[in-house]
Amino acid sequence: MRMIKKNSIFYVMMFPVIIYFALFAYYPLVKGLQTSFQDYKLMGERPYIGFDNYNQVLHDPSFWDALWNTLYIGGGILIFGFIAPLILALSLNEVMKSWFKKTAQLVLYVPHLLSWVVIGGIFIFLLSPDSGLVNLLLIKIFGIQPINFMAEETWARMIMIGSAVWKDMGYNCILFLAGIAGISPTLYEAARMDEATRWQQVHYVTLPQLMNTMKVILLLNTLGIFRIFDQIFVMRNPAIASKVDVLMVYTFQKGIMEIRIGPAAAASFFVVLFTLLLTSVVRKMTRFDEV
Amino acid sequence: MSKKNVAVSLILAGTVLLSACGSNNDTSSSPATPESAAPTESTAGMKLEILSGNVGGKTPEGNTKFAQAISDKTGLDVTLDKPASDYDQKVLTALSSGAKYDLIEVSDLAKLDAFFNQGVVTDLTDFVQSSKVLSDPAVIPTGEWDQLKGPDGKIYGVFSKFQGATMPIVRKDWLNKLNLQEPKTLDELYTILKAFKEEDPDGNGQADTYGLSTSGLYDIQGIMSSAGLKYRYVMEDGKRTIPYATDAAIPMYEWFAKLVKEGIMDPNFITNDTAKMRNLFLTDRVGMVTYWDAWVGMFNNLKKQEDANTAFQAAGMVSLEAADGTIIMRRGDPDFWIIPANAPHPEAAKKFLEFWNTEDGIILGSLGVQDLDYIVDSNGYSLTETGKEANMDHGVPYWYNSTVKPLFPALPGVEEAMALSKQYATLELSLSTWPDAEKIVTNYALKAMAGQMPAKDAVEQMQKELKAANLID
Repeated sequence: MRMIKKNSIFYVMMFPVIIYFALFAYYPLVKGLQTSFQDYKLMGERPYIGFDNYNQVLHDPSFWDALWNTLYIGGGILIFGFIAPLILALSLNEVMKSWFKKTAQLVLYVPHLLSWVVIGGIFIFLLSPDSGLVNLLLIKIFGIQPINFMAEETWARMIMIGSAVWKDMGYNCILFLAGIAGISPTLYEAARMDEATRWQQVHYVTLPQLMNTMKVILLLNTLGIFRIFDQIFVMRNPAIASKVDVLMVYTFQKGIMEIRIGPAAAASFFVVLFTLLLTSVVRKMTRFDEV
Repeated sequence: MSKKNVAVSLILAGTVLLSACGSNNDTSSSPATPESAAPTESTAGMKLEILSGNVGGKTPEGNTKFAQAISDKTGLDVTLDKPASDYDQKVLTALSSGAKYDLIEVSDLAKLDAFFNQGVVTDLTDFVQSSKVLSDPAVIPTGEWDQLKGPDGKIYGVFSKFQGATMPIVRKDWLNKLNLQEPKTLDELYTILKAFKEEDPDGNGQADTYGLSTSGLYDIQGIMSSAGLKYRYVMEDGKRTIPYATDAAIPMYEWFAKLVKEGIMDPNFITNDTAKMRNLFLTDRVGMVTYWDAWVGMFNNLKKQEDANTAFQAAGMVSLEAADGTIIMRRGDPDFWIIPANAPHPEAAKKFLEFWNTEDGIILGSLGVQDLDYIVDSNGYSLTETGKEANMDHGVPYWYNSTVKPLFPALPGVEEAMALSKQYATLELSLSTWPDAEKIVTNYALKAMAGQMPAKDAVEQMQKELKAANLID
């Protein structure tokens, strides 16, 4: 009690944040949970129907398709979105010219600042079968027929993964570079005295010292797997929808397009549940608590 | 009990408590029936809150002036909420959060069906039938009201404008240049589209034109008509069928695949949105698109504004005729107003609905606000620059009321296009299962059209999946 009194000013300062989260995060969450157990109508009575909405969702084949798509695309983004910026950060760390390093970081970071509406539009344009740069190059170099990348299922998921990795590569790269910058130079000095090569320095000094940063980035990216929405919403089309529609798109379609709020709320709680489960697994596997 | 278990128990208990305390609206879930249908009490000075997607000004300032103009003309205190984007989400959020509007604009009959089931809409039958304005067949033809009836046969909306139809729109000047006639059969259409592709109709010396572009499966209705196939559902002997998923559609998808293979069709037809399709047409890249009849006039007018001497000439075309003489054109879902069951001022809303279908309302909805969008002087009406940009469309480019004549000549080509719509266009049957069925149909139809899979396999797969999901009988 004395401690509370002593730090009372700090508790008062926390109030706005607590109120913000209570109002805009926890209240909607609880309300959503309530909705998922109701036969929810926009107006009128909203009787409780137990687990009927959850049952409906679990018996909908589209839900399972969306879950598989989420795991495929989200998993791809998680793996490649972790490895690619790590390699990039390690490569940039080897660059001696400071101006080049800074310019490269800036250029790589820019896509992260752009919305998916812009990035999606750029990709659709670049991959267009008649005027897209990619097809023009493929025709020029290999003399092959144009590929309708955005309309063929074989390419659909790869394009989603590739564009997402590309967009956030610069951001994750900067996080890795910040981690690398924090490694004590004495460790490299000791390694050099032991005649370690550049690769051995990376293998025995940089990577082990970067482990905590890697754990944080992996966990943050894991949290985002089930929340993919904007990208798919912008880049999907009916020909590839069955291969790229993820759980959040399923929720959007049920709730907003079909006005079936109850099943949409139930589906969104599956998203919360899956995120919790996956995050717990990743925490355990990476021994995150030892960070 | 561990601390974790205590915490989990507390959360669950709290959730149950909150659930139990959750407010249930007392309003009945069935559509509300007002005690008095016709506006009986004085509405002067009464508030009127409107949520609209199309009706209103083109900028926030223009919208404020538009609301003021409604206030001036009706004597109501009007607030007009017109979101810049994501209108459907805004409507849904407003309704589910209990926000109160007196009028909401809706553009989708499936939404009316959903709103009926969710207890959102007010029964307007008595009001419409007793209203001198709205019950007049010259203002709104009697048969049109059927569109806005719920499953119980009662009227739940009032039209905000006349909705036209979509149709193939062709470059008439290209046809003339290549000495071709408007096509009547599938073979003639193929010849024309091929000529648009290969015979340099824009005269720039480059093979950079396409015959046909579309932006959605509904866009091919004018061509599917030649096989007598209508989009969405068709009831046959009480059974739900989807003509686009029947064997009769196979040769049609094969025909499109041939167009794609020969480079006659815009290869981006799967990823196109309507804006991209319109741009292709306006920039001389494609000879035929499918779009709204009103856009025939807009296309011509836009090109005329760009260059007064332009050769560009768009013309609406009737759908291809089936072997039995049937012509199928797609009429768009109507735009209409609903009065939500929780509207605080339904009488004010009814006053507005009558006003909106009178001459004053129609002039406001088409030309816009006086002295902002148009001026009236001794020479009559003339549009300001702001008015010209708005293209005489503030939510009502065309209207039902036959007693109100347009103040300006119709845009070139639009009257002929609308005559075709009125003669042939019919509404599509939109059942509640259509959103699920549409995903399956469009997925395989587009693959067949693009040549990614044989049309026969695509239709077979469509039928299999539609039956498995109980989406057809």
